[in-house]
Amino acid sequence: MRPVVTGVAAITPLGRGLAATRAAIAAGHSACAHIPGHAALAARIGPFTTEPEMPKSKARRLDLGSQYTVVAARQCLADAGWDLAGREERTGILLGTGSGGAGPLTELERQIVLESPEAASPFLFPNTVANAPASQAALELRIKGPNVTLIQKDPAGLNAVLYARMLLTDGRADALLVGAADEWNAVYHAAYERLHVLRTESHPGFVLSEGASLLLLEPEESARARGAAIYARVSGTSFVGRSIAPYRRAAEPADLVATMRAALADAGLSETDIGLVHLSANGSPKTDEPEAEALRQVFGDSPRARYARVKDLLGENPSSGAAQLALAAADLRDEPALGAALVNGFGAGGNFMSVVLTAV
Amino acid sequence: MTGLGAVTSIGRNLEETWEGLVAGRSGIGPITLFDASGYRTQLAAEIRELPGGYEPALRRRLSRSDVIGLEATAEALRDAGLDLDREDPTRIGVVLGGGVSGLLDSENYLEALLTKGPGSARPTQVLNHPPDNTTVRIAERYGFLGPRSTITTACSSSATSLGYASDLIRHGLCDLVVTGGADSFARLTHGGFNALRAVDPEPCRPFDRRRKGLTIGEAAGILIFEEEERARRRGAHIHARFLGYGITGDAHHMTQPEPTGEAGARTLAACLKDAKLNAGDVDYVNAHGTATQQNDSAETYAVKRALGERAREIPMSSIKSMLGHCLCSAGAIEAVATVLTIERSVVPPTIRWGERDPECDLDIVPNVARDSRVRVALSNSFAFGGNSTVVAFGAF
Repeated sequence: MRPVVTGVAAITPLGRGLAATRAAIAAGHSACAHIPGHAALAARIGPFTTEPEMPKSKARRLDLGSQYTVVAARQCLADAGWDLAGREERTGILLGTGSGGAGPLTELERQIVLESPEAASPFLFPNTVANAPASQAALELRIKGPNVTLIQKDPAGLNAVLYARMLLTDGRADALLVGAADEWNAVYHAAYERLHVLRTESHPGFVLSEGASLLLLEPEESARARGAAIYARVSGTSFVGRSIAPYRRAAEPADLVATMRAALADAGLSETDIGLVHLSANGSPKTDEPEAEALRQVFGDSPRARYARVKDLLGENPSSGAAQLALAAADLRDEPALGAALVNGFGAGGNFMSVVLTAV
Repeated sequence: MTGLGAVTSIGRNLEETWEGLVAGRSGIGPITLFDASGYRTQLAAEIRELPGGYEPALRRRLSRSDVIGLEATAEALRDAGLDLDREDPTRIGVVLGGGVSGLLDSENYLEALLTKGPGSARPTQVLNHPPDNTTVRIAERYGFLGPRSTITTACSSSATSLGYASDLIRHGLCDLVVTGGADSFARLTHGGFNALRAVDPEPCRPFDRRRKGLTIGEAAGILIFEEEERARRRGAHIHARFLGYGITGDAHHMTQPEPTGEAGARTLAACLKDAKLNAGDVDYVNAHGTATQQNDSAETYAVKRALGERAREIPMSSIKSMLGHCLCSAGAIEAVATVLTIERSVVPPTIRWGERDPECDLDIVPNVARDSRVRVALSNSFAFGGNSTVVAFGAF
């Protein structure tokens, strides 16, 4: 099935919503900034309120990743005009994450190690598991359909789209919130920093990010029947696995070419149909350079497609890949002449994915 | 399913584990992986002896979950009788459930970081924690180049992974998928369940009136999913068929099941529908059966709601009484046991059972395994966060 996108939402370090994020990108703003005590940059959201989507009093028991997800889910459903009443059991959520639960996890570990087993908070524990953001959002919105969290480094949000297509084809839900959520975490930041893979003043690398971005996907027929405004169609997905030690060895351009071509073939399109490419590039030379070479091989030296390199501004995490899907869907709606967009997610762990969205 | 593999607290491989399950052997004992004094319980179902044979340089990069996951995968691939040199690696996927994964290693890093400060520990220890590590390690070792996914939906993770894996085959994206899960013990999960008072100070007693909670375990269970026509053509031994799965959300509470069984019954019904089964077709239910007060009664209500009269006629046992609750690999090891139940016509027991609970009044196969013809079986997985998955298997 080629489901359609009927709603989008993006809570990113550049804006509390897709419109704000798009405007910031158009203005060339970057969220990558110095944080106290670290040489490497981070793309943080900063002070965040869940209001008006959720009262502050309720938000207090949620970790940040869950808060971003609840707000994104509410924004996405509102944008899609999807009324949950009577459809709770037919609505689901599929969320990718790289760091879901990391904040509560490190805090609970701190309590156990530095204080005592007795000091461990029973309230923190349920939020330490990576499915907390999706499940907290389901609980808050009363979504009772399939609820799945996928863990994968960079392309987890794209993987959620792949699984969503299969779930919708098999009629396991009528609509799925699909995307990714992450919370920046100091312990992970410090660990990556010591591996010298994060960007600093003196060397290139990626910038750890956070946020939650979602699309509402529905079968086209039922979306049209309910008169939904359609952003774009999900027409192709591909996955190529490779064996590369994360951050140590460069990806092979041939594998990235194969990933992009497989998504195009799945969509029944050729490279000349693509008007927009959201690059996987995030500042890591070991994946950026092979991607640049692979793009030359697929699209030539003077491509028709516009290349969008937003992770330089947004930072990297699965939630950034989901934000790229939301941005691409919005661009296709506003500029149907683009034809189709390709979104790449070439993970450092050798998980390579591409998604093709087409204008309707 | 053409291949099975297992590493558990009662067996280093599939056959030892199965013999233990049929004999009613418990893997629960004193915790040795860390100092557990000060907790509500000092018990867990630990794997006492990790598989060896790794070069030290590689072993340092592997977590406990990676090691048992790789071992169970090796066994499952041998069992499937595949000649990997002749397979197209781009058509082989790896889809696992995981969650705790390498956390025990990360905890050493965190402890060093918190007590001795930065610079005192290897950062790869914390970066080895994410559950997708085991998935990538398995793909890497065998050169599998197809789709990879790692699912974390707490205690239903690996049951959900079986669903995703079957979809990859159903939708023609893979010929073969290595699926299941590997998950191991850590201070965080022990401390967390202790803090919630969800652990029994004594070994767990599923469905018993005196039950006080779960005992944590660790295990790897791996299943090789293969498209049926292909498996027949190559003359593979087929253990059983994966008939379908149901997946729903409770949206009830982060740590409590929906008590009336309404939510669980919805998952069961979704599974029956997907597998094109009627309640009367079901011969056995491998229970989630965690031994918490709430789960066991809610699950009993759910099974009665979904299967009606049939619920009273069929056995429903909890192998968590022997293996403990293996968290993100529970669904995988229970799937492996369910497949063997079908293939060998023996239902493993719920051990340590002594007092009847009127709220848990189904036939839970108390204490002793039973010969029983099982053609169709379900395995339940209900998780924190209300993530519920039920899988269905059928005799081949």
